[in-house]
Amino acid sequence: MKFPTNAIAFAASTLLLLAAGSLPLPAQNLEPEQLLNPSSESWPLYHGDYSGKRHSHLTQIAPQNVANLILAWAFQTNQLAMIKSSPLVVDGVLFFTVPNNVWAVDARSGHMLWHYVHKTEEGEFIGHRGVAMYKGWLYFTTPDAHLISLNAKDGSVRWDKIIADVKLGYWSTMAPLVVGNHVIAGVGGDLDNLCGYLRSFDPDTGEVQWQWDASPPPGTPNATTGGTTWMTGTYDPELNLVYWGTGNPTPVLNGATRPGDDAWTCSIVALDPDTGKLVWGFVASPHDTHDWDAVETPVLVDADFHGKPRKMLMQSSRNGYFFVLDRTNGKSLLTVPFGPINWTSGVDREGRPIPNPDKEPKPDGRLIAPDEGGMTNYRSPSFDPRTGLFIVDARPSWSLYFTKPADGEYGWAGADFGLWSKSVIEAIDYQTGKIRWSHEVGQGGSGAGVLTTDSGLTFTGDSTGNILALDTRNGKTLWHAGTGAPMQTSPITYELDGRQYLVTGSGGVMFAWVLPVSKPTRVAR
Amino acid sequence: MERFRSLVFLVSILAAIGLSAGHVAVHAAAGGADNGAQTPATAKAADPDAAGSESYAMHCAVCHGDRREGNPPGVPSLVNIKSHLTDQQIAQLVREGKGRMPGFPKLNDDELTGLLEYLASAPPVSPVLAGNHHGRPELTAEAVAGGALFAQNCAFCHGRDAMGGETGPDLTLSKLVLADTDGSKISAVVTEGRIEKKMPAFQFSSQELLTLAAFLRARVVAAAAMKGRRRGVDVSDLQTGDADSGKKYFDGAGGCARCHSPTGDLAGIARRFEGLQLEMRMLYPKDAKSSVIVTLPSGQTIAGTLAYLDEFTVGLRDKDGVYHSWAVERVKYTVDSPVQAHVEQLAKYTDDDIHNLMVYLQTLR
Repeated sequence: MKFPTNAIAFAASTLLLLAAGSLPLPAQNLEPEQLLNPSSESWPLYHGDYSGKRHSHLTQIAPQNVANLILAWAFQTNQLAMIKSSPLVVDGVLFFTVPNNVWAVDARSGHMLWHYVHKTEEGEFIGHRGVAMYKGWLYFTTPDAHLISLNAKDGSVRWDKIIADVKLGYWSTMAPLVVGNHVIAGVGGDLDNLCGYLRSFDPDTGEVQWQWDASPPPGTPNATTGGTTWMTGTYDPELNLVYWGTGNPTPVLNGATRPGDDAWTCSIVALDPDTGKLVWGFVASPHDTHDWDAVETPVLVDADFHGKPRKMLMQSSRNGYFFVLDRTNGKSLLTVPFGPINWTSGVDREGRPIPNPDKEPKPDGRLIAPDEGGMTNYRSPSFDPRTGLFIVDARPSWSLYFTKPADGEYGWAGADFGLWSKSVIEAIDYQTGKIRWSHEVGQGGSGAGVLTTDSGLTFTGDSTGNILALDTRNGKTLWHAGTGAPMQTSPITYELDGRQYLVTGSGGVMFAWVLPVSKPTRVAR
Repeated sequence: MERFRSLVFLVSILAAIGLSAGHVAVHAAAGGADNGAQTPATAKAADPDAAGSESYAMHCAVCHGDRREGNPPGVPSLVNIKSHLTDQQIAQLVREGKGRMPGFPKLNDDELTGLLEYLASAPPVSPVLAGNHHGRPELTAEAVAGGALFAQNCAFCHGRDAMGGETGPDLTLSKLVLADTDGSKISAVVTEGRIEKKMPAFQFSSQELLTLAAFLRARVVAAAAMKGRRRGVDVSDLQTGDADSGKKYFDGAGGCARCHSPTGDLAGIARRFEGLQLEMRMLYPKDAKSSVIVTLPSGQTIAGTLAYLDEFTVGLRDKDGVYHSWAVERVKYTVDSPVQAHVEQLAKYTDDDIHNLMVYLQTLR
């Protein structure tokens, strides 16, 4: 195991342990420092690291040998619920979820260590994104909006706290984010007019440390509600800022009661993780009336932008726009659509799309691109630092949006209907927004999340259930395997005993792929 | 208004439960209640026999769940168990067990009687069900059970009141739902899913499927009672266009006449489809077929209806309905997909074009 920032301390403790006559075996113990520099043997955060790039430095599986990939193991959940979670891997154990269920599985063999079931019928069972970990403890959100801390060794419950009141219409599906001694958890709930918020919990005691509200309290005149927080944010340790995307305003399709931008719904916000105070915010969809949550991963990239080194934040947003922001202050660097959109009359001076009032839902319907599922959704994009490509599962789509007085001013307050869609994996040049290559992955459905690696591979999936390995330079297919169901999550990778594993979930099955042992194929780079 | 209605609905549920399986109509009381979302956490099922309820909690709930919902397919739901098993059959099952279910031979007669009575009562219901329902529902215990199932599994897409929402259609206007008198059509869709429309398949027991169908029927009745205040898309909402302009677009800029004819394939279209269904079909007919010609390495060609296509495999059904498939690198193939013209048109329509075309199509009776 390698922990560069901790190398000396680690070496010292190893020596001490050796002197005491015992070897240090890993023991499901994840120190906050390890989150800052994840080892190649681990995938300790939802996005793999704090940056949200979903990019791995592993190179054993490479363009030259990826065609040889074989199945290492498959784990059957024996449930109908589709796996939508991105697993964690810590000390050789893989943790993943579906609603109300957590599994701990041997990352080498796929053998189950334990299975935790939270018994509730309340709340929303739409999906679950995974767990977070701090030291020897896991943090699991539930359909009834609880945050449960489990012992990573055996899945036993340490404590059970409430993120939000399920009786009001909240639920939670997200994987919390651990930053320092904060476990930051969010909520879903846009079937009711509720305030979306983030709540930070003490990782040991479960006490609430702070709460950040995305919108004013329900009932505030001329103000929006909403701004759910149902996806995991990212973190910049240097700036000590947490970045989060927020969901749509409510009522959802009827914006009449909430004039203006409806901040901070459909927004990207930067918060101080120690206090929960807002440092800056950027409204990605001002006055949204199409359910286009801006919760997609805020990807943090340090690189040149038009010749100047920048600390950037990039998001391919559900509303069809690719945003590049300066993440020190939230100022726009680039705003450009990455597929067909027809709901704006341009982009304002702050880089925000200007919604066309005539494209708000109407009693006789409006034709809108993209549809409500959006140009992309919760499945992760990936940023490949070697090529400077931002690779995303894009979904050109068209739909009809309606609202009328009878639909009211509560909850959904309208109706929308998808007409047609297809999925395309797109490689976006972050400096211009130009699409360098695109790879069609099928009609109708949406594609899978994306993982890139230093060897030049892009792993994703198509809408019929194939896992794909693409050449990151040009998008050409190098390997595929049919899994029986489209991937509804994002791939991860890790290396154990000198062997690189690729893990992908489809339907109710988790698959691990490796190169055959008999052919040593490590590629020197 | 939504909150007011939800309170009314909650009251009606509580009343229905309180009177066990009684069919109770609760009329909306006038008043300004506005905190329906603050559902009382104390909503509890009536308990006709505390001993039976205790016995259930002790012996049965661990597998069949606190609300008798089971965990299908492994553990069946016990909701409405009495509609398909007699007391004698249930008693025998409990005493002797079956399959993975253990027997409980030590239960005395009084305890067993209490348990049977408890199983006959309406199941406890999750208060979440009392969301934003409309109308004055007369909910049977079966519909209440179906409502709980609906809230967990269906409401996210179809709306809590089944009247549409996040992508899912309004089921109270669904022809299939309206035509389904015995629950079989609804059951088939739920069990098989509609993969092409992104609806997943669900493994519910046949009893659960019947409760879902009962809930949907109750929702159809409630929705119909709303008349002009009805949510969702009515036929009358789609009449804002102008038929002459629609005809002009059909014959001209829309390019529709290149493939379609008002006296040919579209003759009487407005008798076959109406409202939103007609409009969506007009914009993109999801069931349109494409044809394909595959040329084998030998030079032989096979034509048929395109049945499958991904990056690696092409499949067709020939004129006899037989399926054939090939790895794409082994053959040459040409797909003819006239419906693609509908996709290209999507980027060209104005909303007025759509509304005009819609009114014109409705003249084709």
